[in-house]
Amino acid sequence: MRARVMYIAAAAFAAAALVVPLWGFSMSAPQYPDETLHLQVERNGIVGDVHEIETLQHYVGVHFPTEIPELKWATRAIVASVGLLALGALVGSGAAAHVYRVLCAAALVTFLLASAGAVQARLYQVGHDRDPHAPLRGMRDFTPPLVGPARVGNFTVWSFPHAGAMMLLAAAALSVAGSRKARA
Amino acid sequence: MKRHPFLLVAATVVVTLATVHTMGCGASRSLRSLAAEKVYVAPGELDKYYAFLSGGQSGSVFVVGVPSGRLIREIPVFEPRAAYGYAMNDNDPRRQELVATGGVWGDTHHPVLSETDGMPDGKYLWINDLANGRLARIRLDYFEADRILKLPNMQGAHGIAVVSPNTKYIVVNGEFELPTDGLVTNPAAYTSVVSFVDPDAMQVKFQVRVNGNIDIADTSKDGRYSFSTVYNLEQGRDMGSMIQYDRDAVAAIDIPAAEKAVAAGRGEMRNGVPILDPEQNPGVLTLIPVPKNPHGINVTPDGRYAIAAGKLSPTVTIIDAHTLKIVAEPEVGLGPLHTTFDDRGNAFTSLFLDSQVVKWNIDKAVKGAPDYIVDRINVHYNIGHLQAVGGDHMHPAGDYLIALNKLSKDMYVPVGPDLPENQEIIDISGEKMKMLASFPTPPEPHDATFMAVSVLKPLVHQTYTPVDDAVQAGKERVVRTGPHAVAVDMTLIRSAYTPDSFQVREGDQVTLKITNVETIRDMIHGFALPDHNLNIALAPGYTKTMTFDAGKPGVYWYYCTNFCSALHLEMRGRMLVQPKEGTVTLTDWHAAENVKGQVVPGVPSTGGGK
Repeated sequence: MRARVMYIAAAAFAAAALVVPLWGFSMSAPQYPDETLHLQVERNGIVGDVHEIETLQHYVGVHFPTEIPELKWATRAIVASVGLLALGALVGSGAAAHVYRVLCAAALVTFLLASAGAVQARLYQVGHDRDPHAPLRGMRDFTPPLVGPARVGNFTVWSFPHAGAMMLLAAAALSVAGSRKARA
Repeated sequence: MKRHPFLLVAATVVVTLATVHTMGCGASRSLRSLAAEKVYVAPGELDKYYAFLSGGQSGSVFVVGVPSGRLIREIPVFEPRAAYGYAMNDNDPRRQELVATGGVWGDTHHPVLSETDGMPDGKYLWINDLANGRLARIRLDYFEADRILKLPNMQGAHGIAVVSPNTKYIVVNGEFELPTDGLVTNPAAYTSVVSFVDPDAMQVKFQVRVNGNIDIADTSKDGRYSFSTVYNLEQGRDMGSMIQYDRDAVAAIDIPAAEKAVAAGRGEMRNGVPILDPEQNPGVLTLIPVPKNPHGINVTPDGRYAIAAGKLSPTVTIIDAHTLKIVAEPEVGLGPLHTTFDDRGNAFTSLFLDSQVVKWNIDKAVKGAPDYIVDRINVHYNIGHLQAVGGDHMHPAGDYLIALNKLSKDMYVPVGPDLPENQEIIDISGEKMKMLASFPTPPEPHDATFMAVSVLKPLVHQTYTPVDDAVQAGKERVVRTGPHAVAVDMTLIRSAYTPDSFQVREGDQVTLKITNVETIRDMIHGFALPDHNLNIALAPGYTKTMTFDAGKPGVYWYYCTNFCSALHLEMRGRMLVQPKEGTVTLTDWHAAENVKGQVVPGVPSTGGGK
């Protein structure tokens, strides 16, 4: 019963992640008082102060990733997770069901770790794969951390999990908790 | 031995003088720091009030922060300003209005704010052009002039006022008398009008004829009367003949009565405006006799009294604003010109000749109490208008007052014979007035009005929403639209013009439409074109169109005049003008373009070299 509720909740959280931003970035600099720039990575791409950030990028030669194939895969993986989690609520309480849920939880955790890796890889790429002819000199390559601040020129860039990532994290936690063996 | 008493006395005197001197300095230092603290607004902090000062012969409005006295903005109105890209080219609607209504300069005197319930609502500010008989409206959401109106049937638009409490009309006094028709040399036949302007349509709804020179205006707080001081009832044409009568007048116009008469068709139509003749419409105009050649007229915040300043008489005339009866005429000092108010029943009158502000208690003066004068403070020098925060509205703040002085003399470092104007900020929160600070401006503020930053700041836009026909990024184009016409649609964004070059032919009329496609505040770009008399400024989101002659064959670099980014100096492009005749083609300019992404020989690989 307990596992079923957890899996239903986990499926709901995973489904909600489809409609809210997954990851967020904010950029602040002294000349943007009260107007910190924001980017949100959503299932369909990047939204927010794209226009302004693209305008700024050409000074430092940072490429703004417009095509992100990982997002397509991530969407599919989230949809699959919703299905797997919902199934986990239906499979009953036998030993086979338990094994299923353990596998399900493992799959979800693996997906999240892979996603974190993909985001970090992208962040590395943004900081290193820069236009050598960018006007501004003296800019060193940089790697923004997955979560936390990085200094890029006069900007402080924050990278942080947005609502979608938190929902997926919650779904993963619930699936892990729901896969523990029920006390006899 | 004999010298000792003398030395002792001398030493005592020296020590005493030194002590007194030191104490004196200490006292003055601490007074100074107290005053400085009252006007100090630390970097990054905001002022409490916007003060709008008329720009006088600069034809503009100065926006000053109070209490700091910092000049924050000049709003150009009647004069083009290249720096703001205001009215600089023939396509500009404001320039067209200016040219059509009397010229590209003006003499602004009285800024007035739109009111709701007797308080400024932050929608509009109106300002007059005395010289050319015009009234301009400034939108306060963008701080820019949006309409300029030529007032028919009058010359010299002087005093203006908003009809309280909800801005029903803008009252504009015609100061210079005119013949009603044709060229008449005998001034006895001249007459003036008070105009009532619809604030939204910016149209004169009706005018009321008044003989003499109509000077300063205010209105009763209930919307019933407009009050105008009138001098030269003698209708003389030179100074000597204008000061013969012992008394001139305050003209009180009953607005509902005038509206009724206009609705009944009793106005004489002239240039599309009905003019009411008071002799044929009794009840519309009441002339209240006041000492000759009065100047200011100010209605108390509670709407009880209209106070006319004597100018040549050392008195102010207190008129009941409902019964129109004179209730008192107290002496205040030499050369009283204007009056403003605090929130505690006190009036402050400027004294031109005494170079003072006199504070007096209205109730005491009305009752004839001998101690109605509360305080006097010296100002520097020859004060004209003065305005306390909110003194012209229904709820004065009673904290600061600005004295707008006519002469500055020794107040600033000498800058040649044309001295700056001097404004002074006075603390009126206590019983005694305290001089806090002074600040100079270009010529020549006459009057001021205030708005609380807390009210206006949320209403102010900092970028424009692009108009429907704005040029969009990616949709830029250069098209030949006729044998001698080229249209260029251009966008601007840090740090490039698109297109960054275009080609026209000698003899072409170039119609250039530019949109600044920036979306963040303060990212203003300029477009200056050498040798074509062209420089405009574009705030984010703004679109401007200008038409100009291509000029002589050659290469013209257009560049950004408003510092925008690390690549501001590189923000430029070329207009290439081909000769009209012959088959000479300029060297292939396309090939020279777009060196982006290529290694350009001779350019060092490190260091921007800026």
